[in-house]
Amino acid sequence: MHVLGVCDHGTGDDALERVVDRLVDRLEREGRVGVVRYDATIADGMQAHDSLTVGGDVSYELGADGDWAASGTGMTIESVVDQLAVDCDYAVVVGVDGLRHPTVVVGADGEAAASADENDDRVIAAVEAPGDLDSDAVLAALEDCDPHETLESLVDRVKRSPKAELSGAIATFTGRVRAKDDADDARTQYLEFEKYEGIAEERMASLKTDLESRDGVLEVELYHRTGVVEDGEDIVFVVVLAGHRGEAFRTVEDGINRLKDEVPLFKKEVTVDDEFWVHERS
Amino acid sequence: MPTEWKLFADLAERAGDKHVTVDASAGDTVGDALEQLVADRSELEERVLDDGDLRSQINVLRNGTNVLVEEEGLETELKEGDELALFPPVSGG
Repeated sequence: MHVLGVCDHGTGDDALERVVDRLVDRLEREGRVGVVRYDATIADGMQAHDSLTVGGDVSYELGADGDWAASGTGMTIESVVDQLAVDCDYAVVVGVDGLRHPTVVVGADGEAAASADENDDRVIAAVEAPGDLDSDAVLAALEDCDPHETLESLVDRVKRSPKAELSGAIATFTGRVRAKDDADDARTQYLEFEKYEGIAEERMASLKTDLESRDGVLEVELYHRTGVVEDGEDIVFVVVLAGHRGEAFRTVEDGINRLKDEVPLFKKEVTVDDEFWVHERS
Repeated sequence: MPTEWKLFADLAERAGDKHVTVDASAGDTVGDALEQLVADRSELEERVLDDGDLRSQINVLRNGTNVLVEEEGLETELKEGDELALFPPVSGG
């Protein structure tokens, strides 16, 4: 799934909403779209919409044809985006500053905000008014960015494989940011991954093909995040759909080992009191 | 036509840039391009070369192919429009 942020930088009217409408219309022609609106005024258990059902911390209303509405407490932007990743092709997140995903900024200050932004490769378009929006260009720029995947979205994908009827096993590996190697260790704040653009994707694709050619292995998904990955977040996933557990376990282990050996990715570690390239310490 | 080097991780930091263009072109060797790359970059030279030989941990790719494993090493001849890459041990995951 591709995630697109839309944020307001000095629009005085409904320009933001009109930009969101046009982008959602464009994305809906390509696939299933989830829209998330952040509104800081929703607080203290007040629900975004009046719900027919009363009580419970989370409530769903379901219709016979699968239509639904929901409300609840305790959700974050990250977790709602992760949930959408399972069955949406795109997510549009409105009103969140500092999102780590590609973003369109709307408003008179948009250009200035885009150039002032330290991570200005994150801003893929800045428009002053809805009429300035080239939604085809935004779509193309969005498709060029890394997609957002979760363990669940990859597991769901392999389960939908045409070969799934031959499968009796899924094995997965999740690599995450380890805060400490032992209790006295200086806490790692984040890792930053640099990628050899183009070649990394080629190596991952050929590794996937190689693993999928093994007897009994039906589908393999490999995914590695780049940029800043914070303490406790997931970095890399390997998911194997196989006939039986033996080849699933072996392939998931070989998959992560070969990914670490063969794909040109470089890891900088930032701890509370140091910063270093991991290959220089290991 | 000049040749472009892409540099990664601490090698880019030592060179002061992620992309460096050198004059070596079709008919010259990867070694010629490397010599030009490190010519005015003593910190990078110290990191990647030991007595003129490439340190064992350093990777050199030509269009994604490791010249040390699959080609003629630093003797590999350049072709028009080649992209060269220089990087330390990979550390994904």
